Amino acid sequence: MLRSLFRITVVGLVAAGVAGACDGGLDPEPICARSLVGLCGTVRFRGAAPANTENVFIAAYLAFPQSCTDLINNRRPVIPGSVPFTDSIAPYSVPLLPGAYHWVLAVWKKPGALTLTPADTQYLRVAGYYRDSVDSTQPGVVTVPSGAGAAPGDIDFVVNFDSLRPATDFVTCTAQ
Amino acid sequence: MHRAIATLLLVCAPLPAAAQGVLRGSVRDKYGAAIGGASIAIPGTTLSTRTNLQGVYRIAVVPAGRVRVHAAALGYGPVDTAVALTGGDSTTLDFTLRSAPLELPPLDVVSTKVARFGDRPATSVVQIPERDIDQRAVNTVDEAVDKAAGIQMLNGQINIRGSTGYIQGLNSRVLLLVDGVPMNQGDRGGINWDLLPVDQIERVDILKGAGSSLYGSAALGGVVNLATRDVPQGVHVRVRLTGGAYGNPPEEVWRFRDGTGLQGGGDISGSYGTTTFGGRLAAGARHSDGYREQDDGDHWQIAGRARWQASSRTRVDMSSAWAVDHYDAPLAWCRQGKCDDRGQAFQPFKVATASLGSWTDSRKGYVAVQARTVVSDRFAWQARGSWFRTSFFDQRPPNGSEFGIANRFGAELRAEAHPDSMRTVLVGSEMTLSDVTSDIFGNHSQSEYAAYGESDQAVGVFRFTAGARIDFLAVDGGSLSAVVSPRLGGTVPTDHKGGVLRASIGRGFRAPTVAERFVHTFFEGLEVIPNPNLGPETAWSLELGHTTAPLLHVLRLDAALFWTEGRELIEPRLIVDTTGPKIQLQNVTRARIAGIDASVLAAPIPDRLIAALSYTYLNTRRQVAGDPSATGPLAFRPKHLLTLSGDYSFGAFGLGADFRYASRVERIELEGFVDARRVPVKVLDLRAGWKQGPVELRLLAANVLNYMYNLVPQTLAPVRTVTLTAVWSH
Repeated sequence: MLRSLFRITVVGLVAAGVAGACDGGLDPEPICARSLVGLCGTVRFRGAAPANTENVFIAAYLAFPQSCTDLINNRRPVIPGSVPFTDSIAPYSVPLLPGAYHWVLAVWKKPGALTLTPADTQYLRVAGYYRDSVDSTQPGVVTVPSGAGAAPGDIDFVVNFDSLRPATDFVTCTAQ
Repeated sequence: MHRAIATLLLVCAPLPAAAQGVLRGSVRDKYGAAIGGASIAIPGTTLSTRTNLQGVYRIAVVPAGRVRVHAAALGYGPVDTAVALTGGDSTTLDFTLRSAPLELPPLDVVSTKVARFGDRPATSVVQIPERDIDQRAVNTVDEAVDKAAGIQMLNGQINIRGSTGYIQGLNSRVLLLVDGVPMNQGDRGGINWDLLPVDQIERVDILKGAGSSLYGSAALGGVVNLATRDVPQGVHVRVRLTGGAYGNPPEEVWRFRDGTGLQGGGDISGSYGTTTFGGRLAAGARHSDGYREQDDGDHWQIAGRARWQASSRTRVDMSSAWAVDHYDAPLAWCRQGKCDDRGQAFQPFKVATASLGSWTDSRKGYVAVQARTVVSDRFAWQARGSWFRTSFFDQRPPNGSEFGIANRFGAELRAEAHPDSMRTVLVGSEMTLSDVTSDIFGNHSQSEYAAYGESDQAVGVFRFTAGARIDFLAVDGGSLSAVVSPRLGGTVPTDHKGGVLRASIGRGFRAPTVAERFVHTFFEGLEVIPNPNLGPETAWSLELGHTTAPLLHVLRLDAALFWTEGRELIEPRLIVDTTGPKIQLQNVTRARIAGIDASVLAAPIPDRLIAALSYTYLNTRRQVAGDPSATGPLAFRPKHLLTLSGDYSFGAFGLGADFRYASRVERIELEGFVDARRVPVKVLDLRAGWKQGPVELRLLAANVLNYMYNLVPQTLAPVRTVTLTAVWSH
């Protein structure tokens, strides 16, 4: 009786373990996965990428930066990702905390180590930003809702490599 | 005063030769088969030994008269008997031990530094015997330790009851000993699990909770002792060959190579011993293609051990090892856009294109010499000296390289006295000097000087232990700072069949390592700046536990409540100054780790089936000085940790399984700066074995379900790995 109980217990535990281990692990996650908390879309590239292009990444700001310090310290995500720039179009996604982002932009970077200081602006250029659907001269606001499955897709950009703009076109910076 | 001196002299004085005899004999099972490695001890004295491979033992200089003798072996019930010895003569005493799979391990050294036979320690101790190491067919020591109750390995860092957490490449709140000699790195304080070939390990002893009252720094969360195989008499050769393959990614979109990754290696050791001398030399190598992109690794090692019975009272042991590892470094998995991401947000098997070409050359080795003299059955002393050297060279494109060389020199002198059969006293002193040369840690030295003492006293059925250690620390020859680590403990039997209640409280500490004080490097683009003013981190650990006697002849339960209050714990902090954000290690965290550690051992079919279930519940809280918002659980501590294992044997064959579950960790360090994806751990290992005469085959399918998980950010844990191991012993 005791042995039978023991066997049933062991078999039950192993079966539960096996069943539990069949799911819940890491799974492939497409760039615009439903589980994403953040935003995603496509970047279209215009012009020829400069020879010294190291990276293109997407950055977001909850409030439009007022200074160079804001530009560096308030950038999300803090550690930039990367968008392939060799094709004319590339998908992207950015994990972000929920909130309303008032400036979502593509940033071009030339070689150099970022130190998260205003000195970083010497390596960076504004390559394009998400625009307001009504007034396309103004940045568009994107809201990232809380919870997975509701990431705003179709936040699309155009990056024009022929008109990369320094940060000083947008904020006051001492280094560029 | 005169009486005390007289007592000490009496205890320390060697017995006159005429009052001594020799005790010899054998230990066998009920079928007459020899039991090698059985412990034979005369309780309450310094006298003990172990049987050789033929099950034979010999203890010289036993005081004449009637003495109690204790014999025990793993998996067998102990035997206590008495024998009358005649001075100057030899007495034979043979033992027959009955099979008892629920018996607790017969020998415990790690809890008190004094060999204890049969008496249970006041603090939880887990032992991984040679049998378990062999059955699991593992290639490295950490793979064996990972399956122990209440233990979790996080990318090479050991957590005992949630003590360490995880900081890449830095520190350990657990002390590693090799045959009692401390072996944490001199610069980073971490543990090189590949220092010794697993084939040379006879037993792993793990002390849970603060052990600083005897072991000093780093024993804040526990102590792991690797006991290496002794050198037997005669000529012995052992060859171990392994070969295996890694599973491919379960998703086509994650495939990163066309073929299958392979691994393989071999070890050979040979020894020769007489009653006076013995020596062993072992060498081995292995190669692994790895289970990820840029994960190739090569390992070479050589190890030796020698013993010399200088006299009937003095034994000298020397051991050494040297290991070289050259491996590619899959630093972090690739995130979208950093490699050919195939439209995926992350590629766990790949690394960023910019990180291709990263590799590490790691070398480590030690020499240790220990001498023990049994002056009398009441008094023994022991001395040791050791040198442990580590070096690393990291090639990290595109940023360059890093290197570090560390030497750790250690010496210890201790005395063990048994004033009477009810009491044991241990006193000792220890010195450690670490010197470091590195481009990221600078050139520095750190020294530690310590004195300790502990007394163990039986009062009726109670047994009490009290001790303390004082450590003096100095950096670069500067002023000394002192840390005191006391410990109190006690046990009481709860029945006559082996049930024991235990309780202990102790203070542990860990001195900051040279690397933690002086590291200057970059992590994810952030500058990591030094903090020379770091102080020791300390913790009080409390434990209340109970081990039952066998229940219904098939079950044994063990449960412990533990509570740790940590102060001044060292954690990485993000600081912002006028030049931007930086990372600095600071003594800022106050932590509480409380929980339950429970295990059940069951043997429903004697000699056939044995199963173990262990569960650890962790409740952690932290407070960070100067940051009221930084609350919540400690990073990298799973709340639930469960291990289920079973072994069924029939004749020469055996089958086994291990299942490990760890809940998803609630918090990680530097969230927002690293990819925070993490999942629970659910890993099933299956194994089979066959043993016939000198040949042994082991098949291991680790992570047989190919469950994809990570223990630390952006680092995929091992995928399904099938390994076949063949061992030939002569």
